[in-house]
Amino acid sequence: MTATQGRVRPRAIGTPLDRLDGRAKVTGSARYAYEQPVGEPVYLHAVQATVARGRITGIDTEAAAAVPGVLAVLTHRNAPRLADTRDAELAVLQSDAVAFRGQFVGGVVATTSEAARYAASLVRTTYDTQPHDSVLRPDRDDLYAPESVNGGFATDTEQGDVEAALASAAVTVDQTYTTAMNHNNPMEPHTTVAVWNDGELTLYESTQGVHMVRSQVAPLFGLQPDEVHVVSPFVGGGFGSKGTPHAPVVLAAMAARLVPGRAVRFALTRPQMFFVAGYRTPTVQHIRLGADRGGRLTAISVDAVSQTSRIKEFAEQTAVAARMMYAAPHRRTTHRLARLDVPVPSWMRAPGECPGMFAAEVAMDELAEACGLDPVELRIRNEPATDPETGRPFSSRNLVACLREGARRIGWERREQAPRSRREAGHLVGLGVAASVYPVFWMPGSSATVRAGAGGRYTVSIGAADLGTGTWTALAQIAADALEVPVERVELRIGDTAFPPASVAGGSSGITAWGSAVVHAARRLRETYGNAPPDGAEATGETGDNPATERFAMYAFGAQFAEVRVDEETGEVRVPRLVGVFAAGCVINPKTARSQLVGGMTMGLSMALHEESHVDGRLGQVANHDLAEYHIAANADVGDIDVSWIDEDDPHVNPMGSKGIGEIGIVGTAAAVANAAHNATGVRVRDLPITLDKLLGDPGAGNGPAVRRR
Amino acid sequence: MEFLRPATWQEALAAKAEHPTAVPIAGGTDVMVEINFDHRRPDHLLDLNRIAELEEWETGEDTVRLGASVPYSRIMAGLRTELPGLALASHTVASPQIRNRGGVGGNLGTASPAGDAHPALLAGGGAVEAESVRGSRLIPIDDFYTGVKRNALAPDELIRAVHLKKATGPQQFSKVGTRNAMVIAVCAFGIALHPDTRTVRTGIGSAAPTPIRAKAAEEFLAAAMDEAGLWDSGKPVPPAVAKQFADLVSGAANPIDDVRGTATYRRHALGVMARRTLGWTWQQYRDHQGSKSCA
Amino acid sequence: MRVTFTVNGRPQEADDVWEGESLLYVLRERMGLPGSKNACEQGECGSCTVRLDGVPVCSCLVAAGQVQGRRVDTVEGLAGEDGELSAIQQAFVDAGAVQCGFCTPGLLVAADELLEHNPSPSDGDIREALSGNLCRCTGYEKILDAVRLAAARTGQGV
Repeated sequence: MTATQGRVRPRAIGTPLDRLDGRAKVTGSARYAYEQPVGEPVYLHAVQATVARGRITGIDTEAAAAVPGVLAVLTHRNAPRLADTRDAELAVLQSDAVAFRGQFVGGVVATTSEAARYAASLVRTTYDTQPHDSVLRPDRDDLYAPESVNGGFATDTEQGDVEAALASAAVTVDQTYTTAMNHNNPMEPHTTVAVWNDGELTLYESTQGVHMVRSQVAPLFGLQPDEVHVVSPFVGGGFGSKGTPHAPVVLAAMAARLVPGRAVRFALTRPQMFFVAGYRTPTVQHIRLGADRGGRLTAISVDAVSQTSRIKEFAEQTAVAARMMYAAPHRRTTHRLARLDVPVPSWMRAPGECPGMFAAEVAMDELAEACGLDPVELRIRNEPATDPETGRPFSSRNLVACLREGARRIGWERREQAPRSRREAGHLVGLGVAASVYPVFWMPGSSATVRAGAGGRYTVSIGAADLGTGTWTALAQIAADALEVPVERVELRIGDTAFPPASVAGGSSGITAWGSAVVHAARRLRETYGNAPPDGAEATGETGDNPATERFAMYAFGAQFAEVRVDEETGEVRVPRLVGVFAAGCVINPKTARSQLVGGMTMGLSMALHEESHVDGRLGQVANHDLAEYHIAANADVGDIDVSWIDEDDPHVNPMGSKGIGEIGIVGTAAAVANAAHNATGVRVRDLPITLDKLLGDPGAGNGPAVRRR
Repeated sequence: MEFLRPATWQEALAAKAEHPTAVPIAGGTDVMVEINFDHRRPDHLLDLNRIAELEEWETGEDTVRLGASVPYSRIMAGLRTELPGLALASHTVASPQIRNRGGVGGNLGTASPAGDAHPALLAGGGAVEAESVRGSRLIPIDDFYTGVKRNALAPDELIRAVHLKKATGPQQFSKVGTRNAMVIAVCAFGIALHPDTRTVRTGIGSAAPTPIRAKAAEEFLAAAMDEAGLWDSGKPVPPAVAKQFADLVSGAANPIDDVRGTATYRRHALGVMARRTLGWTWQQYRDHQGSKSCA
Repeated sequence: MRVTFTVNGRPQEADDVWEGESLLYVLRERMGLPGSKNACEQGECGSCTVRLDGVPVCSCLVAAGQVQGRRVDTVEGLAGEDGELSAIQQAFVDAGAVQCGFCTPGLLVAADELLEHNPSPSDGDIREALSGNLCRCTGYEKILDAVRLAAARTGQGV
């Protein structure tokens, strides 16, 4: 058995240990990036473009510079030249070009944030404005196929003969689904505190990966990686938007260069987060399903269109889940992009799977209806024996068990097959189901160091991140079990580039990747020093490779059920119950895991009912760019959420047997809600979010020629 | 910027006279958002928090004189009997934190068509007490809203109070939103039965450039109820009458499409709310009549 | 301008306060009390909730000058002098109501005020009292559990 293989014997793992960072957070003493003590800081406020496309012809900074307390006004004319401008999103203030409305065109550094903000408002910019194009429409003739999509997946795939299979299918569904632009909106706005000392840059950063920030920021400023120090012990949520550096960190680092030795504090305002911090692209998905009368799929075709920015490509992997989810001999998937004058799209919780499974799982509901089948049964009938895309066996796949357990928990037997059959207290009531899936990514590149201290204590260091996910706690549990000591004897250190490198907290891979490195380091320490290592003994381990990833398809699965009540006259929707059952391997900490899954489902509910960034095509910007108008679910919107998981023992994924749970919770929720809304009202909503007016549509209107039965 | 902190109402009026562009701030729930977002940077902020009488109300024979800064949370708790429509509307304002600070004076000062108090004020009926060093006047609520976020106040005037008719019959308030809490209305509707004058008054929010009454609907309903003798008989409102009332309310609106909802949806929802709230208030009236006749 | 008020029982003073400045800013930037969080600046998220003369308010919407001579209580004042967590703080930890922690201070202040005047709140009371506080991580369920737990423990005199 090598150090990376072989299971860790769970002792602390699997117990609901209280969050180790809880005390700091409930006392208000946890220091987030903005709050790090840095002596006497100065403040940065950004100046943003007020046109969606064009060139800056003039920028008058005189009034801004005259404001008392202003130390510097940055524009493209005086900004430090970056050593590497290949990433156009990060090439801040390097030219006079404006590629989207809200793009940074300047910044003001002042001794107070009020002075910086006021002075920023006094910067007068004139533009040579060019026509812009900022609304995604699928019927354009310049859609293009990217070389690959996010995650390195193939842009298009084709197996068998889809057109022939569809032509001869007994039942088909042929529909177009759309998902809205969403903004991540973690509660903590994106924040950087930057300070230059002796040519080295220190960043207190609100980020999902300190080493990722270091590796991307260092070359911009012509620095060696070890000349950039990134510190991030507490992060107020990210959901993908802090998974890769955006423009703010660059602007802050530039500003700090003008005031060496002094820390520059820069926090985005909530409205600014709608321009420069990433977002989930809207998608348009044309789905065609072919099946026999018994609902067995013969063909699956998904054509997904999403948007990217003109300056930097981001290709949402919308259709990848359709490649492996259900058995069907004939299948094709395509991804096309519209290049628009918009901010750069980025990751948002379960990019790809989340919007993709909305469309696919509503289409499956439509197929079940067309076949006269129970939608749970339809999914069970299409369960593949091996991964349809690669032919590999699944390392474990327990979707069917999740569906059955979820059906039991929600009381699925009470569901009326015919829509609009159940009325209670003036409301139409319905139940819906959808499946969830998320890949188990093997993210190499992390290392951890375990150091023995006095009294049988151990310090475990790794530059991992805790965005609220539970890393502080779960990683300590893994370390304790790997060392075979009580968790109280482990001191964890994370969130700093002073510690060994860690991969980004993304792709639900954090705990599995970092945990693997920690296990490796602990085993090395034991191999070298035995059970009583001398004080100061140290060992380092890496995530390494997992050869099993070549032999198995690795995914977590889940089933989500929703009960929806609709006011027949106003279309107001309430979701009193959600049930989620997941098969995600070994659960390291049931308490933090449950929160992750409930939180994911709540975000899915929010996506289903509330979240939509409305682009004003004339201005080329999101109109509802604050929390008053961009609604996320409030506690009054959330009913009973019943989360559970089935015992799943997967010996192949990693030494803990864990699969990652940060993202799967949001996958499928919106489809379950939409399917339940259809069951309640007979109205098929194919366009998220499910707003009041959409449910007042004509019941059955969408079920005409697009569903064919022979 | 200068922060003016008058200790008395007279000082406040004097300050406003001296600085007509001074922005009054009480709960701060509108003004501070604009300052925080740098949408506005007034030369003077006029703090009204120190003026105790603005946070008090007096109940007279027929009216309540409601201080401009009485927080919504206290209206909800303390004026449910006298001003039931406004109490219901207050409960739907934003969040507990906002209701603890914001008051009717702020809603009137801002005069946003989405302000939750307006439909209830219009339906209940009353007048705004505006005062300046020149004197005091009562502006009928029907004349107060003059345009999108504009009102009838003169630059040197401050809102001292609103004079609201004590309810003589049931009142209701209904609001449709896209979320269950902290929601700006997609549209809102207030209704008040006035058995003393045998009239019904209404208020519509978020469905026209200003808060408005549905006067044609009110007149139709009053006539129809009179004709059928419903005020005396207490019989149910015939469905056809309720429907016509609802249609007239829908027709009174002049909504737009925006991020919160479409114009078509707003008209539809207003009709539903009008019919429902009429049903609820009429049922309350009948129950009340019934209990009186039993007694 | 100078502003003087009481924070968590202690007199505090801030000089050179800008007239348009919020109470939140004064607490965070001038008084070294960053527990109250700045997340929307428009009263839509509740992360900055403090008590002003005992009443929960969004400190981002209170002008600093309005607080002159008044009493403010923040999350930093919830625990005892000895560092012992208050019932509601302990319940948040125990129930797993904390994730990223950014909404937590505002929720704690709102929940603390609820339990002070309503020691055994119904679920409806809890939802109502916390309806002005957004959380993006937890789905709220464990937060409601925490308030129930704190109420139960306090009721039992634990």
